[in-house]
Amino acid sequence: MSDGKKVTRRTLLMKIGIAINAIVGVAITVPVIGYLFSPVKRKGAYNKWISLGSLSQFPEGQTRLAEFVNPFKRPQDGETAKTPCWVRRVGGNTFQVFAINCAHLGCPVRWFPQSELFMCPCHGGVYYANGDRASGPPERGLFQYDYKVVGGELHINAGQMPTLANEAMAQKEKLVCLG
Amino acid sequence: MSRLKEVYNWFERRLQLEGPIKEAALHPVPRNTASWWYVFGSAAMTLLMLQIATGILLAIIYVPSGGEAWKTLDQLNHQLYLGWFLRAMHGWGSNFMVAVVLIHMAQVFMFGAYKFPRELTWILGVFLLLMTLGMAFTGQVLRFDQDAYWGLGIGASIVSRVPLIGGPLVHLLLGGPIIAGATLSRFFALHVFVIPGLMLLFAGLHVWMVLKLGINEWPMPGRVVRRETYIQEYNEMAHKDGVPFVPDALWKDLFFSAGILVAVAVCALLFGPYGPGGQPDPTIIQTAPKPDFFFLWLFAVLSYLPPEMETPFVLIAPAIGILVLLALPFVAGVGEKSWHRRPVAVLVLITVAVSWGIFTHLGVHTPWSPVMDAWSGDPLPQKLVHSETALERQGAVVFQAKQCRNCHSVGGLGGQRGPALDDVATRLTEDQLIRQVLQGGGNMPAYGKNLSPPEVNALVRFLETLKPANRPAAVDASQEAQAQLGK
Amino acid sequence: MNARQFLSGAFLLASLVLTAGCERFPGYPHPGSEAMRPDEVTDFSRLYSQNCSACHGADGQYGPAIALANPEYQAIVDDNTLRSVIANGEQGTLMPAFAQSAGGMLTDAQIDALVKGLRQRWARSGYLQGADVPPYKTDKQGDAAHGQQVFQAYCSRCHVTGTQPLNTGGKTKTSSITDGSYLALISDQSLRAIIIAGRPDLGHPDWRNAQPGHAMSDQEVTDLVAWMASQRQQTPGQPYPAQDETGRGKKL
Repeated sequence: MSDGKKVTRRTLLMKIGIAINAIVGVAITVPVIGYLFSPVKRKGAYNKWISLGSLSQFPEGQTRLAEFVNPFKRPQDGETAKTPCWVRRVGGNTFQVFAINCAHLGCPVRWFPQSELFMCPCHGGVYYANGDRASGPPERGLFQYDYKVVGGELHINAGQMPTLANEAMAQKEKLVCLG
Repeated sequence: MSRLKEVYNWFERRLQLEGPIKEAALHPVPRNTASWWYVFGSAAMTLLMLQIATGILLAIIYVPSGGEAWKTLDQLNHQLYLGWFLRAMHGWGSNFMVAVVLIHMAQVFMFGAYKFPRELTWILGVFLLLMTLGMAFTGQVLRFDQDAYWGLGIGASIVSRVPLIGGPLVHLLLGGPIIAGATLSRFFALHVFVIPGLMLLFAGLHVWMVLKLGINEWPMPGRVVRRETYIQEYNEMAHKDGVPFVPDALWKDLFFSAGILVAVAVCALLFGPYGPGGQPDPTIIQTAPKPDFFFLWLFAVLSYLPPEMETPFVLIAPAIGILVLLALPFVAGVGEKSWHRRPVAVLVLITVAVSWGIFTHLGVHTPWSPVMDAWSGDPLPQKLVHSETALERQGAVVFQAKQCRNCHSVGGLGGQRGPALDDVATRLTEDQLIRQVLQGGGNMPAYGKNLSPPEVNALVRFLETLKPANRPAAVDASQEAQAQLGK
Repeated sequence: MNARQFLSGAFLLASLVLTAGCERFPGYPHPGSEAMRPDEVTDFSRLYSQNCSACHGADGQYGPAIALANPEYQAIVDDNTLRSVIANGEQGTLMPAFAQSAGGMLTDAQIDALVKGLRQRWARSGYLQGADVPPYKTDKQGDAAHGQQVFQAYCSRCHVTGTQPLNTGGKTKTSSITDGSYLALISDQSLRAIIIAGRPDLGHPDWRNAQPGHAMSDQEVTDLVAWMASQRQQTPGQPYPAQDETGRGKKL
């Protein structure tokens, strides 16, 4: 009988029991939140410099498809660990490396050397050869990766899917190191 | 007493389920609710059970790994007895389930069933709808083909537009920096454990409330819902002019559910399983990703939004939509239930249904997408080529080779992103054609830098031949007038 | 009893349908029905209709570019030339390079499949054997002055030069084959190929029938091409059209 606010030994024990469970529960679950959020890393933490291979694959004045294996990969990734990108060799050691993902919603853009346009199959975003937006729904040009030339190879700083929240290029000025 | 009865009694003495089940089954419902309009809820439940059963059967084989998922689906399709049929049942079951849930919701809305005291039933229903859509989307991801891969890319790109926390949200969604094995694993967990678990819980509570509060009576104009009197009125109606739920109302539910199952099976047998499409290899860029049927409308909306509206719309509109649905029973919790006295509700439902239909239709035909191999694949009409001069024919080659065809159709073939050009010469003069080609505009890129003068010349000559024989070419009025003056 | 019979009948029927007739249902996914990797497609019809038919026509004819379903053309061009034109494009024309190594989308195996398919479908074995066919390629220098005479003799029946108007059913249009823009978009080699092989689909005769009964010689073809090449302009397509009396801008 619980008349008034009389605290019996049993109700007290029950309350203590609840409290113990709550404490244990919190102690166990709070770290689990960390587990759930473990994929979240700060900007650039996933990025690495990766080689796209020898410069000779990229003729001057042309735009070619290149692919790389993402630096952050797990054994179960299979084919999805691969990422393509478009490499435009403007001339000499000057490049533009464009992400495959349309700046609109991430669909794979395709380069058409005849009309010198990138077109996106999803919603019709179109970009010029230098990556500038030409028409369609994208609100900006193609994402570009930072690059450098090391020992006759083209390296890019990549590792994350480029989106509006992660625009691939970390610094505006491009590093050109001659190796 | 038969042996069977003895066994039954042995269990009943221990389980004691007979009482509650009898009470639930025989509870009186208003006579007019034993109607064919009231069968969609139970059909949705039947489909949920079908999805769980077929889902478990598929999970026996399916491997949620980025490297293996596609192969196991291929194996189900081709190497396992009935594997293809189970995949087809699960896929079509999903389509039917979304459809039935939407119809159920529309019916409940029209019948005013969300009003007092069934507000919570409605709210749980809204969540059940969201979870059904969630199941449809995560299910498409589990198919892990090119559409799934790039669909995830679209999802990530939408999420990335959230201000401030967009980046971390993308990582959470993808389970890492890119779409890969970890992404599939977390969608597997959602599709197989999290959402179905919640769905069962919510659906159970939903049905429990239907039993406890009674099924919504057939709305009559003038029978107004009042908080003070409604429950008493309802109970009187159910007892005076009521029928027991079993069997008077149930038989229609049973017939309809069986019909739905047959329909799913027939679709599965006729149309087969969904895909899988091409391997989820991101380096295959010759792909035109498209979402499943029930997300086509969204695909269409996303392509029509002006760029500056897109982010706010994509992030805010869904939240508003869900809030409106959740707030509905609190805003309009009492009053008339009959559609005869609720013109706004009827108009809203019609508007939503028609817009949904239009956007879905557009999503099926994707007129905004360039056809990526039209330039190299779609031939020109024979007659056109036959009647052309050397230069015009060369212009036709320019037209094809420069990918104009990807966005402009001729003779019904080609992209629909830009206008069809079958009669462009009746609309634009030579000067206007040159200007349009060089400067673009109106959602067309400028080709000025990408075409040489002879190419432009030849192309425009070709475009000038694009008109029906019986219609005059476009004429520049000012030049015409000048020529008249000269004479 | 009735219900049980009904149920067992239904069950029997269902299991019969599912065991015996599985593969007869339209929904049954037949092996190979999955989307192939686009770089593994080697079926000629599919490759042709995706990559070639826009310019060369659906059946190798009636396209704006040279007809491939033309036994004359197939007889004069050799496999290596076809392969290299598909792979690397044709210099001086709009024929693009399709090989991956040249920035296109096709693998070497796919280009081989195209060459093989073109031959199988449209080449006739032994065709033109023994005939005096001008070769597809030539290193000889042509004589442009003589080429003009060749033009007069063989071509002027249908073709005009310069800015001569061509009367086509009341409407005049310039169909000059020495138009600067036209010549800028076609190579000497392509001119040579069309002169020799013709466009049977469009009624353009081959080298034997330009002047019926009198085939063109290799030298005449070479000279004709040389003369056409000499008509090329420095800045084709450049001058903005002068206004003529009709009020419509016309280009030279």
